[in-house]
Amino acid sequence: MLAPMLLLSKRFARWGVIFGVLGVPAPASSQSIVTDLSTREVAISTGFTGAELLLFGATEGFGDIVVTVEGPKRDEIIRRKERVAGIWVNGTSVTFENAPAYYRTAASKPLSEIAAPEVLEKLQIGSSRIDLSTRSSRGAEAILEFREAFIRSKKRQALYSEDISDIKITRGRLFRSTIPFPVNVPIGTYEVTVHLFKDGRLVSSEKTPLTVQKVGLEAKIYDFAHDHAAWYGLIAIAIALVAGWLAGVIFRRA
Amino acid sequence: MQIYLPIAEMSLNALMLLGLGGMVGFLSGMFGVGGGFLMTPLLIFIGVPPAVAVGTEANQVVAASVSGALAHWRRGNVDIRMGVVLMIGGFIGSTLGVSLFTFLREIGQIDFVIAVSYVLFLGIVGVLMVVESVRAWFRSRNPSAPRRKLHYHTWLHGLPFKMRFRRSKLYISALLPLGIGVFVGILAAIMGVGGGFVMVPAMIYLLGMPTSVVVGTSLFQIVFVTANVTFLQSVNNQTVDIVLAMLLVIGSVIGAQIGARVGSRLRGEEVRIALGLIVLAVCARVAWTLVATPDDLFSLGIGGAH
Repeated sequence: MLAPMLLLSKRFARWGVIFGVLGVPAPASSQSIVTDLSTREVAISTGFTGAELLLFGATEGFGDIVVTVEGPKRDEIIRRKERVAGIWVNGTSVTFENAPAYYRTAASKPLSEIAAPEVLEKLQIGSSRIDLSTRSSRGAEAILEFREAFIRSKKRQALYSEDISDIKITRGRLFRSTIPFPVNVPIGTYEVTVHLFKDGRLVSSEKTPLTVQKVGLEAKIYDFAHDHAAWYGLIAIAIALVAGWLAGVIFRRA
Repeated sequence: MQIYLPIAEMSLNALMLLGLGGMVGFLSGMFGVGGGFLMTPLLIFIGVPPAVAVGTEANQVVAASVSGALAHWRRGNVDIRMGVVLMIGGFIGSTLGVSLFTFLREIGQIDFVIAVSYVLFLGIVGVLMVVESVRAWFRSRNPSAPRRKLHYHTWLHGLPFKMRFRRSKLYISALLPLGIGVFVGILAAIMGVGGGFVMVPAMIYLLGMPTSVVVGTSLFQIVFVTANVTFLQSVNNQTVDIVLAMLLVIGSVIGAQIGARVGSRLRGEEVRIALGLIVLAVCARVAWTLVATPDDLFSLGIGGAH
């Protein structure tokens, strides 16, 4: 319905103005979803054992919701062990460039029922469709094997998850989804994208950034270890010397 | 009580770490060894990344050896000249070792090299310990058997740069302790140990040092070499976790005191047989990780450029 109207308005510009005035909806309104997260910052502190975030929002009218969460991108190496003289040794490896350190997809229905594979492919929705590029000169078949192994390893570390269809939509408008982060969650900036599909077509997307960072003493120690490595080393030695000396003194008296 | 370790980037139970430190400390106090060769594999078994286990353990060994080194120093049981030569060797070796460590980490072979080093050295030392102490045990029951010579003169004693080590009553080539120092330094860097289990036998059998100064001198060297490893691992690889090291230190200093008291009531040979068997058990466990077929042949490496 919308497409012929557009065509019309293009052909007859003046008519288009009139259509606009008459209140014909603009295509793919950015206002059709509103979302928010229970927090925009995941803080890793002393007692951190993982975190769970709540994503919630509302849509204008009925549709299917797909939520993707993508972690910071970095180069990731996946290695295959080979048996050499009875011992397992790391052999060939493939480096995937700009691979998301964390990836999760959740939807209100199984992805296959929401949109055609080509549409999902184009939007890179689903852990099997994310863009993993490599400069490796190995054959396509070998790369595919490494790619699958990479996703499998990430899933084992709970950093990637199966495409889940657990989003509940209440009264056709409100939705909520939980996003779990394991204890080994990589620090950096994450992007939470909520897609609204109607009849297999993407109607609207809304992106919300999210940061995962170390806070408090843990952050200070980590930053200090990386920014002032020499001082960190000297302090580590000093602490150990004092602790050892102190223990000797205490127990000599005891 | 879970505690997040900032460098290992994982959460572990603080009480378990204190207990682990206490247990290894107890054994090290009882047997008079550093304990690094037990602690590093145990840390790896509970899931600490091998590189972090090695870097952190070097830091813990500094604390574990310093009180012993000071005690021996006060009693005059340190051959300072010998200690300094060993230390220079240790600095060279550990600096080479950390560079090698960084290189192996980049090419993804560090876990493998750590495991192989453990199997090799724990295997050799464990077997030697058991054999030697079983022999000593038999000798003690049969005191009429002839005593062995203190040390043998070999081609090693014909090397140049002879130095006089008064405290050890030796006039030998400085290259000998220097070489031992280099070798132990490399081990310290790659295995996260003090290296006493290699250095003490080498000092007794290769150099022919009197036993009274061996332990003090080796502890003296270990403090400096593990401090150097801690520094270089921090600078090159950022793999020293202070929080983890502190928990292990607290546990181990307490454990070591209790262990030392228990150990003094046991017979030397029996203690050494027991230690030899523990060493062999750890060796077998590490060897198993090398030969057992992994659940998944693929593994993720540490992230390259962020």
